[in-house]
Amino acid sequence: MIPAVDHPIWTQIVTGKKPVQTGKLAINLLAQGNKINYEKDSSPANVKLLAKRTHDFFIQYEKVFAAEFAKILS
Amino acid sequence: MLAAISTTLQTIPEVQSAVAAGESLFLAGSREALSQLPAGNWIGGTIPYFMTEQGGLLAEDRIFVTRVPEMALSVKTAEYGPENLASLYRDAPAHGFTFVVLPAGTEVLKTFAEKAPSFDGFLLRPVVGWVAGVRVDKIGKEAPVVFNGKTSSVFEAKCVALHVTLPASIMADMDIVNIFESQGGDVIRFEESGFQVTNCQVNGKPVNLAKYITEKGIPTEFPLVGDYNGSNLNASFLNVDAAKGTVDLYAPVFPGVDYRFAKPVADYAGAFADTLTSGKEVPAFACNCILNYLYGKLEGKKTGDITGPITFGEIAHQLLNQTMVRLYLHDMA
Repeated sequence: MIPAVDHPIWTQIVTGKKPVQTGKLAINLLAQGNKINYEKDSSPANVKLLAKRTHDFFIQYEKVFAAEFAKILS
Repeated sequence: MLAAISTTLQTIPEVQSAVAAGESLFLAGSREALSQLPAGNWIGGTIPYFMTEQGGLLAEDRIFVTRVPEMALSVKTAEYGPENLASLYRDAPAHGFTFVVLPAGTEVLKTFAEKAPSFDGFLLRPVVGWVAGVRVDKIGKEAPVVFNGKTSSVFEAKCVALHVTLPASIMADMDIVNIFESQGGDVIRFEESGFQVTNCQVNGKPVNLAKYITEKGIPTEFPLVGDYNGSNLNASFLNVDAAKGTVDLYAPVFPGVDYRFAKPVADYAGAFADTLTSGKEVPAFACNCILNYLYGKLEGKKTGDITGPITFGEIAHQLLNQTMVRLYLHDMA
């Protein structure tokens, strides 16, 4: 079950407080993009935008990356 | 479980028949070969190099065919220039994937390479494909081109796409096979993205990259390896000009990424064989890089059981270099 878009887990992922470690290309591109974006602009508005994108990504790939997401979200 | 898709190297008459039968196809071949095809539901790009079941092959009278699976709900061709490339992702199906082919050395490729990660829909709409090229002895003499078979159009400066909508139970995903890994050591960072580099930071100190490479005698057949949260993505060297102090790359570098020089690889075919363990799932589509073919002397040598075009750049969400890309269609039912 993917948490709702306003769940704090998404902010934790975007800000790097929740580590994302996986061998999956798409997840790593998302994590690297978040890192670069957050380093450039750590404003609450940008964090909220990145958190929504991250949530949308998890929804999109929920079935394909079920094992990886379970680990990240645990 | 994976959904099956058919990929084969075929003769021109065989592909003509497939187009005439109304099949939706993603094609790779020489300009002469692709020019002989009738209008139909296909896109393609020029490249005469292939990974085949017998090994690497240069063939200008064959076409590598990737068939869109019958379970696809819809297939739509489209063309994009630099000015409307962001629409690639907006046009892509909410559930499916997009095949794309872009000509080497063009503004539209540069735009894709540098800006795709910032486009709305990046990663959410899987885009997979490659960069069209020509026989290496014709570089600079002939232009790579791409074809939209639907409109019988040929483009030197646009990219073409095949948007494929899939049933809800089928999910597209890509992975990469990169035989290069970081050799460790100095960390290189860039302040700007781009295909041409002058200055960079090496371990935090400003350095001219061309001078650094020349002074250290670093072999440039092996790429820079960028660390993308644990995935290794390459930026390969096109030219190092110590006199001008410039380094030209086949893919852009980006700020915020730690790069290191790759550990040298002596046996490319062996490295692929070690990575591509037999019995692994068969991809729906795959391509590999012309630099691996040339530097690794892969003509006649197999790269595992993987077949597909050997290209001037590979695309799995974004532009990659010296990398094998594989598309998988997962049946989640």
